[in-house]
Amino acid sequence: MNQVNERILEVSNVNTYIGKSKIIKNISLKIKTGEIVGLIGPNGAGKTTIMKTILGLTKFTGSITVGKRPITETSHRALARVGALIEHPAIYPFLTGRQNLELYARDKRDLTQLVSTLQMDSYINNKAKGYSLGMKQKLGIAIALLNHPQLVILDEPMNGLDIEATIGVRKLIKRYADQGTAFLISSHILSELQKIMTQVVLITSGKIIVNQPIEEFNKTSKQKYKVLTEDNNRAMSLLQKEKIPFILKNNFLVIDQKKHFCYSGSTFEK
Amino acid sequence: MFYSIKQEFYKLRHKKIAWIAPIILLVLMILAGYALNCEEHKLLLVLCFDAPDWIMLILVVIGTTTFSMEFQNNAILTLLYKATNKVYVYLSKYIVLFLYDVFLHLLALVYTFCLHYTLFRTSAVWTMTYLYSQSIWENMLTAFMVDLVTTMLIITLVFLLSCLINNNAIVVTLSFLLVFMGQTISSNLLNSNKFVNVMKWNPLNMLNLTRQFGNYSMYVETTHLNNNQILIGSMFYIIIFFVLGYLIFRKKRY
Repeated sequence: MNQVNERILEVSNVNTYIGKSKIIKNISLKIKTGEIVGLIGPNGAGKTTIMKTILGLTKFTGSITVGKRPITETSHRALARVGALIEHPAIYPFLTGRQNLELYARDKRDLTQLVSTLQMDSYINNKAKGYSLGMKQKLGIAIALLNHPQLVILDEPMNGLDIEATIGVRKLIKRYADQGTAFLISSHILSELQKIMTQVVLITSGKIIVNQPIEEFNKTSKQKYKVLTEDNNRAMSLLQKEKIPFILKNNFLVIDQKKHFCYSGSTFEK
Repeated sequence: MFYSIKQEFYKLRHKKIAWIAPIILLVLMILAGYALNCEEHKLLLVLCFDAPDWIMLILVVIGTTTFSMEFQNNAILTLLYKATNKVYVYLSKYIVLFLYDVFLHLLALVYTFCLHYTLFRTSAVWTMTYLYSQSIWENMLTAFMVDLVTTMLIITLVFLLSCLINNNAIVVTLSFLLVFMGQTISSNLLNSNKFVNVMKWNPLNMLNLTRQFGNYSMYVETTHLNNNQILIGSMFYIIIFFVLGYLIFRKKRY
């Protein structure tokens, strides 16, 4: 287990370039053991690029250290105890789920435990080419969690997962964090991570606009949800039924952030 | 580095094509044995029933999928961040494919012995003097080593194309064209008689190394280079293509 409050990741004044254009603009970020940092932002904000940069996969300026060891574009020695799921799960379709895990696993006991925790036992010995999106996503998460990592980077890990699986993954992340693993998790939906994250980092156009503990964020944030639904009448009747106050403005439903809101089939932006 | 090599072996071991290829090799060697008459049986033994050509074919197919599977399955990002250095990813793929190439060559030797004593029994004796005043078995072993150089050149060429072009189908087609039509393209270049002294060093001419070793008098007219010159040229292009392929791989955006 990692030391309590040990700094695992330190990103200082990092700028990331793709070609000549600057995608990430002067970001700084620190993650300690057991912290779950949510990297929240709309699509195209630069979440994946930040993660790729931390993994030494892009050209950047500034400094990144994992466990006090520097990361460069060519040297990844510091990433020996980092697990990641970036963009899509790295799965070979000609291998079974178990073989995909064995490819990266150093300890097979660890593998069996992960399979059972993520409830993949029923299909883990099948070829991965037949897996659904959710199954692949779970396998990708399992690969990232192999070998007792000190830092785990997950890019939109809940993509393709059903509610039951989402809750299972959240619990698993929490359990690993309690054991000292630090997490950097991206999402474009704040509520997806709100229940588990300890720190929130809001990003837009490659810049960090908010970086604070979640309790502080919840206290200070007075923003509202602006919701676009496919069926406003139905949504309004549901809100009325739940006694959640709202106003209808320019075809959007505006709801107080403090109220819990869940409406299948709707999209929203904050 | 060892970790990357281990991973590459694991993937190759679980690919169907890696296990089917030795069977395909045997079938093609038998067909070559039936296709060529008894007069050429000594040459067939030296060139292991034309195994170099069949091995080239197998290596092109497996070599192109070595990289394309990483891009198609989005596994390249995981491979890259898990490797301590990018060069290890490239090098481990090369080493594993080369070792598989050696395995295929050894298998071709075993098949040759088996075929010589079963399906294609002739008067040819292993100790009989044949090319370069050497015995048939010495010729066969030299051809084995020479063909390892030719196939190394092919692997580097396939890797270079795989890093240059993202479309797997184009890489396979282009690799087949270069490997099997390269000799014709090169001889056409040399037939023009212009700049022959420079053009004879073109990389496609180096792909004739094994063929020229087995049939010197015929091929030397086309290549305008002796065996040693082709060997040195091949080594030079192996280094150039390897470095170029790696640089493209390193600069590629993932």
